[in-house]
Amino acid sequence: MSYPQEQIDELKRYCTKVSALSEGGIAFLYLEELRLPAGCKPEICDALLCPSAKDSYPSRLYFSAQITGPYTRNWNVTGARIGEKNWWAFSWKVELSAPTLAQLLVAHLNGFAKEK
Amino acid sequence: MNADRYSRQSFLGTDSEEFIARCTVAVPGLGGGGSHIVQQLAHIGFQSYVLYDDDIVEESNLNRLIGARFADVLAETPKLHLAKMMIYGLQPQANVRGFACKWQNHPEPMRECQIAFGCVDSYKGREELEIACRRYLMHYIDVGMDVHGTDRPVIGGQVILSSPGGPCMRCMGFLNDEKLAQEAARYGKAGARPQVVWPNGVLASTAVGLAVDLVTNWTKKHRSHAYLVYDGNEASVNESFTLRNLKIQPCSHFAVSDVGDPVCVEL
Amino acid sequence: MKIIVKLTGALHAEILRDLTRRHPFAVERVGFVSARIGTLADDGRLILLTRYHSIPDDEYVNDPSVGARIGSEAITWAMQAAYHGRPQREGIFHIHLHGHRGETGMSGVDNREIPPMIPGFQSVGRDAVHGFVILSLDHGSAWVWLPGDQEPIQAMDMAVIGSPIGVFQRGRRK
Repeated sequence: MSYPQEQIDELKRYCTKVSALSEGGIAFLYLEELRLPAGCKPEICDALLCPSAKDSYPSRLYFSAQITGPYTRNWNVTGARIGEKNWWAFSWKVELSAPTLAQLLVAHLNGFAKEK
Repeated sequence: MNADRYSRQSFLGTDSEEFIARCTVAVPGLGGGGSHIVQQLAHIGFQSYVLYDDDIVEESNLNRLIGARFADVLAETPKLHLAKMMIYGLQPQANVRGFACKWQNHPEPMRECQIAFGCVDSYKGREELEIACRRYLMHYIDVGMDVHGTDRPVIGGQVILSSPGGPCMRCMGFLNDEKLAQEAARYGKAGARPQVVWPNGVLASTAVGLAVDLVTNWTKKHRSHAYLVYDGNEASVNESFTLRNLKIQPCSHFAVSDVGDPVCVEL
Repeated sequence: MKIIVKLTGALHAEILRDLTRRHPFAVERVGFVSARIGTLADDGRLILLTRYHSIPDDEYVNDPSVGARIGSEAITWAMQAAYHGRPQREGIFHIHLHGHRGETGMSGVDNREIPPMIPGFQSVGRDAVHGFVILSLDHGSAWVWLPGDQEPIQAMDMAVIGSPIGVFQRGRRK
């Protein structure tokens, strides 16, 4: 799957590098050194954005570590194996109509910043 | 070694002993299924193993964990240790690499194997193992059992062979997004799953039988895949009905680009 | 460093079928196979052969002094494959068959003719592994150039992941 370059460039504002990874027919965007919202520990980590439906979510954002944030989250993915690395994700459903990649990313990161 | 040791399995072929000895097998998960598998592989003559389990023997394991004794509960014996002792007791010269962790935390040794047995508890776990086996070219033999219902319990299980280039578990109708999604939604609510020794034994034996055939080709069937369904109430193992009615096509779920270390292409 | 080579049974069968075909004038046939890398423990490498390219009959050069000589079009194809394989770190292996049983080794001609190809593959596919494989009817050996290496490492094992499985070990007859 390919995305418009302007959307990729917009994503790069949030991390140091954006790469494409594909596994088992599913396309991911690998975001290196993604800056997390205020109050998160660690403050920076790698992330995988899956813009298509996965694991009963319309889209998913995985992190290279379990993050401690301002609000308690249900980390229902712990050590999932994607691209020969282990990933963590919390339960957060994002339902947007035709978002750009950056809008999708921000909507997922809002899971740290919003109580619900 | 006494030449008579394997005389009763000479029907496997003239060089079968050597072919079996050359093969390296991975067993991630040394619980009820994995402990059976390790025991049988050692009896047959497999010499090279890569094992993973980070758990210790508990009393609730004693109804099914092969090789475990009450003393192991008291001693908090690691399941990995039990498996190693099982193997060395039968094959003193075996090369056993054991890791007290989940395979995902130290996956590199498993990649040297030709066969990996999946004795894991979840669809997600199975999917991850199969992906690793497709990446690093290993036959994947999946084993699982479950008990459904309380008023009229039903014991079910499966043994699946998923080989690189052949149909995968999705092709064969065992894995799908719906099952994975339902499992993800149930996360944390699973509780202790029913497990008993004799279905584990049936399934493990069937799995080991597939593995021996892959190594020795004694049946001359040249299997590229298998999906066998266990009905514990009927005491039967049969080819999956889904598979019997499935038109087998080249797998569309794994591409050549899924082989080898993942490559991230910078955008 | 431990190097292991793996390929599927289907690919192995495809390669053998092609390499055992008669050629109008060459005594042997030659092919190319694409290869990807896997990381093993202790910095070892797993070489995963993925796709085979059969060299058309008319891309051989009639040279009775050797078993087979391929022409410039075949080499060009291989160089282009190494170039196009760069994003996926996919390299190129020269492959041919010695028509005997048992462990294979390099002949004098192999040693003279094949290694000089490798720097060219390395120059276009810097981050990939390249090398060559010599099969026999029931065995196989591989020599692997890791990225940046000037000298090859011989693979310890070659495993055919098919039905049956074949494990060809260096130093073992078959």
